[in-house]
Amino acid sequence: MTMTQTELRAAPADGVDIWNRDDMEPRVREILDRTVRDRATGPYSAKTDAEIVAMLQRFYAAQGLSEIAISDVQRMAGGASKEQFAYLLRHSGDAAGERLVLRMDPLEAIAQTCRGREAQLHDALGSVLPVAPVRGLDVNGVVLGQPAIILGFVDGVTEPTDSKGHGVSGMGSNYGDWADKLAPQFIGALATIHGFDRSNSDLSYFAEPTPGTRQAAIWQVNAWSKLWWDGLIQPVPVITYAERWLRENAPVCENPVICHCDLRIGNFMFEEPSGKFTAVLDWELAHIGDFHEDLAWACQRLFGMLDENGEFLVSGLISRPEFLRRYEEASGNRVDPDRLRYYEVLNAYKCAVMDLGQAIRAATESNNHQDLVLTWLASAGAVFLAQMVQLIREA
Amino acid sequence: MLPNIDVRIANMIKAIEQVVLPALPKSERLARDQAMLVAGHLRMITGQWKNALRFEQVTLDALIGLADKLSGIVAEPFAGELAKAAECARAADRGNIDGLEAAYTALGHVIDNAILGGPDHVPLPQAAVDALFDYGSRNAQLERTWFKAIGFDPDRAELPEIADVL
Repeated sequence: MTMTQTELRAAPADGVDIWNRDDMEPRVREILDRTVRDRATGPYSAKTDAEIVAMLQRFYAAQGLSEIAISDVQRMAGGASKEQFAYLLRHSGDAAGERLVLRMDPLEAIAQTCRGREAQLHDALGSVLPVAPVRGLDVNGVVLGQPAIILGFVDGVTEPTDSKGHGVSGMGSNYGDWADKLAPQFIGALATIHGFDRSNSDLSYFAEPTPGTRQAAIWQVNAWSKLWWDGLIQPVPVITYAERWLRENAPVCENPVICHCDLRIGNFMFEEPSGKFTAVLDWELAHIGDFHEDLAWACQRLFGMLDENGEFLVSGLISRPEFLRRYEEASGNRVDPDRLRYYEVLNAYKCAVMDLGQAIRAATESNNHQDLVLTWLASAGAVFLAQMVQLIREA
Repeated sequence: MLPNIDVRIANMIKAIEQVVLPALPKSERLARDQAMLVAGHLRMITGQWKNALRFEQVTLDALIGLADKLSGIVAEPFAGELAKAAECARAADRGNIDGLEAAYTALGHVIDNAILGGPDHVPLPQAAVDALFDYGSRNAQLERTWFKAIGFDPDRAELPEIADVL
């Protein structure tokens, strides 16, 4: 698929300047600019339970609640991005209380995203998918001191309790016999998200790429390359070339849809023993774009595993050909192998930027609540470099 | 050196795994995860620290090799800039890890500029792309080998030992 110079000159007359680095969603730019602006205000320390209680008391008081009681605060594990606490909220209007989850931005994380966007998607998709309800929001951290979303607590597990162990951020989990129950829901969730009619939803934190142009792809390249260059620790020639390739080979997206962009192993919860999905998690990377981006993300080697016959299982659930076939069946979308390959390169690029760029920058500045996890994940960066070389060579 | 570094690292791993971790309640998953990561990092460092200087030398040499190849392929002013930057990198103090890293970074910036073709995004000749891929494959293999103990790499079983790639 690599374009020759002749083909480059014949690129679509869609008004998209592939080298205009400023062309990206306004809210994404705000978040990335804020990252650079606030970087020097670190280091960041993991919050104590007492600090969390004080922050939440302040938040609920500002909401007009009285007789506020925050109890049973429990730090939640997992995730390489957000600092999360479960707690029980009681107040004069709810003596029994509600179990909630505070999900907030540390000063810097492996990805820099917007809680407002996340909240809007929870609200929008809640009618068609199991997602945690939004119970509170401080988009810019005006009251809490740092951006945060508060979600209803959802019961369930991200891996079977009888599995043989878990990896960081859910990677390396083994679904085993559970796959028959989980795979149809996984595919169905993707089809539902991509088919969602957003015309009546408040998605004001999002912008829509122009259909029939390369803007959907270029917006992603611009956002991720900005994150890379703004946080650069050490140059990586393959990452730089991948950026160039992604610009010069950006495909047209005819019909932009909501893309979750991190729906994979570890990012859905289910109940045992039924296997029924209770929540689709981690919407922070979601945007309006090309559905191939989601499929390519799910197909990444690092998020899957080999079965006993040596066949690769997408997200540890289902073979790649079967995954794509059943997705087409469920969604009515036709998978274009060239576009899928493009987004596999883009996703490897995104992962390399996170691992070898932002994760190391955040850990170097000591701006995360678990710097150690970031340097651990960063050690996987070369896996994505190898994938980029292989994928572009084969394209 | 007494006690030597390997013994001290082994002592730290033992303390974490046999004293700290058992003392942490099961409910403190984040603390337990972090303690296990500390042990994991230390175990990985055990296999790396003796080769750290050699690793930086090899990675810088590979980048210099890429700059040399690119300088014979790309147009001016990039060719001249690459040749000059490669010479500077060759002059780095090969006994100093910080110096090698600084030389790598300085040369890397010049290579980045050549790859992007400067502000006008001059087309990159196919031979330059081929050279980049050759370098990229070898470099990725080296780094994957360096970090294979982390266990993330889906193809780690096919990777050689660190000593075999340095």
